[in-house]
Amino acid sequence: MAMATPGEDQDGFPCALTINVPFPSARLASVAHRALGVDKELSALVQRQLSTTTPTPAEKDETVLRIEYKATTNRMLRVAVNSFMESLALVLEVMAELDVDVLEQQQQQQQDRT
Amino acid sequence: MWIAGYEKNVAYPNPDGVIGRRDSMHTQEQGQQAAARTRRKLVEAIRRIALGCEGSANKLGIGVIAHEDGGEAVVLSNVRHTFVSPPGTGFLPKDTARHHRAFFVRVAKQALADARVSVADVDCVCYTRGPGMGGPLSSVAIAARTLALLWGKELVGVNHCVGHIEMGRAITGAENPVVLYVSGGNTQVIAYAEQRYRIFGEALDIAVGNCLDRFARTLEISNDPAPGYNIEQLAKKGGRVLLDLPYTVKGMDCSFSGILARADELAALMKAGGVGPDGEPITPADLCFSLQETIFAMLVEITERAMAHVGSKQVLIVGGVGCNERLQEMMGGMAAERGGSVYATDERFCIDNGIMIAHAGLLAYETGFRTPLEDSTCTQRFRTDEVFVKWRR
Repeated sequence: MAMATPGEDQDGFPCALTINVPFPSARLASVAHRALGVDKELSALVQRQLSTTTPTPAEKDETVLRIEYKATTNRMLRVAVNSFMESLALVLEVMAELDVDVLEQQQQQQQDRT
Repeated sequence: MWIAGYEKNVAYPNPDGVIGRRDSMHTQEQGQQAAARTRRKLVEAIRRIALGCEGSANKLGIGVIAHEDGGEAVVLSNVRHTFVSPPGTGFLPKDTARHHRAFFVRVAKQALADARVSVADVDCVCYTRGPGMGGPLSSVAIAARTLALLWGKELVGVNHCVGHIEMGRAITGAENPVVLYVSGGNTQVIAYAEQRYRIFGEALDIAVGNCLDRFARTLEISNDPAPGYNIEQLAKKGGRVLLDLPYTVKGMDCSFSGILARADELAALMKAGGVGPDGEPITPADLCFSLQETIFAMLVEITERAMAHVGSKQVLIVGGVGCNERLQEMMGGMAAERGGSVYATDERFCIDNGIMIAHAGLLAYETGFRTPLEDSTCTQRFRTDEVFVKWRR
């Protein structure tokens, strides 16, 4: 779920976008947060903040990864967000296919066959 | 890939990837029996296992290595997928990064399946910190970080050049050679001294492999499996005439951009119907032959200079260009004259791969080296001598 806020000049970065990515568990949201948070934004014209948060105020588990972008132009914002999405897709694929439980299940299936 | 006439001077890797000291040539059967004994021993022995992920250029490689308590290193798996661009083009960072992201999971799964290890067996996750292309490096690093976090393992960032050197040493058993590291991205003459791999000489502008790759684009030679390989095959058909190209050795260093510019000029001359010194039309084979002879002679010269300087008789050639049989032949000739020998590996190990990252990473890990998550970035420039080689005396 993304929200774009146009207009209002906030210290020179008028183009902003907030992306909330839901994860099945707080563990996975945290893994994504830590893996994607290491690399700094390449351009000084873009600022990015990563955090984890709860899907609704009532819930306790922080299963949502929140990414807040601020950029000088819409073009910079689009380029930065597109690039992030590609990295996020990779992280999700690794989680889906190479997590401990998935690999264990596959090994079990292999063993059962032999 | 091996030249029969130079058996004396060239060391062969063990046939099934089991690394050990080799004093003499085994028969195939002896080799297989030895490998079976090693595997049985390994099952009982304590060992450390590392996963290595490489993606600094257009090759995505993931491998699993085991270090036995006695010091022996065993390749458990070595999987690679190469991004090949169309003839006449090179691989661009954005496309290469996209390729690595698209294939990472597939290659990782294959590597784990081939190695038959579980997550619990793995001690650490190693990745290429640099040097190389920014986007491709980062894409692999992100995946490696994710694996490390999911699996609860520590990360080890590895220098790509050191990976090549350590793998070459392990495979060939060379004691203390002068290392010629030649690839599309790097050209360095290296010797080990006091816990650093010191750069004695290097290319001042572009790497020798880059010169070959870009010339392949000029001639619109296929990039499959690699442009350098196809230049080598074409060069074998040459030899009738040696065209005049600049020979640019500068002390311990060398330079290739001028040679490339002249080679491109000669290619244009060829297309315009130009003739060589013997009056016959120039062919692509003539160009490839002349280019190889010139640049490889330069590499042999700077390697010999380093050998004389250091007092070493052994040469270890690593990096993708090290697969070239003509380079091995020329280097073998020089080494023989000095009463020495040349060590080289086959394309499993000299072309960029994940197992070299796993091996060098595990060596560092065993000395206590760790890369904290917050520091697990990548860098396009990472000098070989920046690494503290704690695992050697």
